[in-house]
Amino acid sequence: MMKLLQIELYKIFRRPRTYISFGVVTAIAFIFQLAMKAGGREFFEFGMQDVTDTFNVQGSIINGYLVGYLILQSLLVQIPLLVALVAGDTLAGEANLGTLRLLLTRPISRPQLVLIKFLASSVYTILLILWLAVVALFLSLLLFGTGDMINLKSETFVLLLKDDVMWRYGCAFLFAVVAMTAIAALSLFLSAFADNSIGPIIATMAIVVVLTILSNLELPLFNAIRPYLFTSHMIGWKGFFDDPIPYAAIGKSAMVLVLYILGLVGGTIFYFNKKDISS
Amino acid sequence: MSTPIVEIRNLSKNFKGRQAVDDLSFSIHPGDVYGFLGQNGAGKSTTMRMLLGLIFPDAGQIFINGEEFGNNRRYLLKHIGAIIERPDMYGYLSGRDNLRIMAALTRERIPDSRIYDVLEQVGLRGREKDKVKTYSQGMKQRLGIAIALVHQPDLLILDEPTNGLDPQGIAEMRQLILSLSRDHGKTVLVSSHLLHEIEQVATRMLVLHKGKKIAEGPVTELINPDDMLVDVVTRASAEERVRSSVWGEILVASAGNTMTFKMNAARVPELNKWLVEQGVAVMEIRSKHSLEDYFIAITQ
Amino acid sequence: MRRLVSVFVILLLPFLAPAMEAEQLYYALRTKVLSVKDYTADVKVTLDVNYMKIPPLEGKLYYKVPDKIRMVRKDGISILPKKNMSLSLGNLIPAGKVSVLDAGTATLQGKTLRVLKVIPEDDKSGIILSKIWIDEANLLALHTETTTQNDGTINMDLTFGKYIKQSLPDKVTITMDIKEYKLPKGITMDYSEVPTTAGPKKPQGDSKGNIIINYSNYVVNKGVDDKVFEEK
Repeated sequence: MMKLLQIELYKIFRRPRTYISFGVVTAIAFIFQLAMKAGGREFFEFGMQDVTDTFNVQGSIINGYLVGYLILQSLLVQIPLLVALVAGDTLAGEANLGTLRLLLTRPISRPQLVLIKFLASSVYTILLILWLAVVALFLSLLLFGTGDMINLKSETFVLLLKDDVMWRYGCAFLFAVVAMTAIAALSLFLSAFADNSIGPIIATMAIVVVLTILSNLELPLFNAIRPYLFTSHMIGWKGFFDDPIPYAAIGKSAMVLVLYILGLVGGTIFYFNKKDISS
Repeated sequence: MSTPIVEIRNLSKNFKGRQAVDDLSFSIHPGDVYGFLGQNGAGKSTTMRMLLGLIFPDAGQIFINGEEFGNNRRYLLKHIGAIIERPDMYGYLSGRDNLRIMAALTRERIPDSRIYDVLEQVGLRGREKDKVKTYSQGMKQRLGIAIALVHQPDLLILDEPTNGLDPQGIAEMRQLILSLSRDHGKTVLVSSHLLHEIEQVATRMLVLHKGKKIAEGPVTELINPDDMLVDVVTRASAEERVRSSVWGEILVASAGNTMTFKMNAARVPELNKWLVEQGVAVMEIRSKHSLEDYFIAITQ
Repeated sequence: MRRLVSVFVILLLPFLAPAMEAEQLYYALRTKVLSVKDYTADVKVTLDVNYMKIPPLEGKLYYKVPDKIRMVRKDGISILPKKNMSLSLGNLIPAGKVSVLDAGTATLQGKTLRVLKVIPEDDKSGIILSKIWIDEANLLALHTETTTQNDGTINMDLTFGKYIKQSLPDKVTITMDIKEYKLPKGITMDYSEVPTTAGPKKPQGDSKGNIIINYSNYVVNKGVDDKVFEEK
């Protein structure tokens, strides 16, 4: 199994396409950092208007922790795309290349192949999140320094002391890995149905975008389904920046995501195991 | 007779109402070069894919070395090497890396020396470090053969291995197949839509038409030299003169200035001589070997 | 000379009480409060505001007459009510010419206190009316209730202890009106406990907030560089 995983990772990381994601993350983070350097304070004070009407907020507001958080928040939509770029390609891309039939004429079982593909996608996801931590957080800390972190929520103004932030980031990144692994599982699942990788990548994005909108719509109609949408739970990492941390909700969200992962990977194995390979 | 290396019993597969393979049965014995002949869409690839577990049959059984395939797929695939249709690889990897990956997937420890031996065997030494996307069609096809051979299987399944090759490539592929059978003792199942290709390499053949077996047997028996179709093009129609002679018995069709005879190719000079003696201006004589004509021949 | 007089007044005060006139008492208090020209102190600021989730902020507070004030936290963020509103007692006691009315006595913190109503004659300070509860014996303001033009009513409770000699409080509690805080959910993309409808809704709209400041380690009248107050 290790050997097969190694091979899969070798295939992923020998492809130029794989590094696009890392480049995109770097570029977005860097552009964001530049913008924050130039006019971050004005931008942020705009959001804090209700607070600054009454209070004098002074000190290093625009610091690495805040910029890191803002980058993570804005990458919320892009990261799933980048995960889908690789995970959506795992099965469909091989079908498209024509190598899938070559793989399947080798003595490995189909469930094994699906699991390997999933694990390899997960490793890629973890590396992408690690890279995100490097460019979004550590680079921001380098550029903007540390400080207390302000977290503007819709109805709450949270301030976290600077010595109380790093561990939260650690937990948030761990959670993000789970959330993005769910995206990888979704892409893999869609990938099993397709013979080219564009379909599953676009389908993943469409699902993420539509469900994210549904998750954020304040309509009673959607309240009933919201707890079942994985997009409502994907942003659970933000919970670690709240005070007090809603551990029960985060735990529940993580559970929902894990169930999605198991369901989607299981579904992929079930479908793929019966699929006629005619590509 | 030995246990067949492949035995197919009553295999059927339906794709959304189209019967791709219809109650097909046949056996391949060790040492055979078994030719699969049929037009595109006849069911050759589908059958081969079912033999490899890529497509699941609706009905029927497949035995490899006497063991039912469905239950032992992983184990039995160790004994099979295959190229299905196009030789598709990871273009962004080198030929050697493609080969190494596919070797590793056989779950057996295949030393690098074996990798290089196979590359040598298919004539890719020296180009093994180049990316596959820089390879010609022929080189890709040879790399495909290398992948099929690297784990030293007993049975090779080659689906249209000469597709997309230039005449020299076709000749090389033919030599390779013959040598694999003769020098390395491999059993080969090879498909083609071209009769002469099968004729030149196969010991036995099976003709598939719309998923059904039309004929099966030793090539020498099936491709009867007396069944050659010969087209004769003349300046003016000579049909009446031919009909009134002994040649009329073997005239199977006539349209305009073209007459088609069913005959042994060895008698073509004799026919030509007779026509010239009759004062018929012969523009062209061609013997046809295409599958389509073969079908006409064996279904008449 | 002026300083001497004020010191004299302060020393004499206990003996004069309670016969002091309201106006006299007010000016005596003001003089005493303004005798602190500057100070630095370690502070712990607790913001008890319904929309804020902020741990107590520890830092150093710098003050200089008449109204310069700044809290500094190394690499950190400090949050204080706006200068023009309050914070230092000096700010809540109207400067300039005022009318002082005697509002009798009241009991607070177990003491009987004189209550004064102070109305500034000019409106530069933005103060309409200031009610001050004074411990006459110690000449300390223990409670103020200031009605401002723009910022509603600000209440201030002062607790004295260790630094009573310098008339500096150990603890100040400011109660003030807090404006509503809200950002669109589409921007903040909140993660909320699912489902969002569960649980009682937080009170919305304007409300009262408490800001509690604990002081320690005062350094008084040793001079504070103006640079400290510059916004970085």
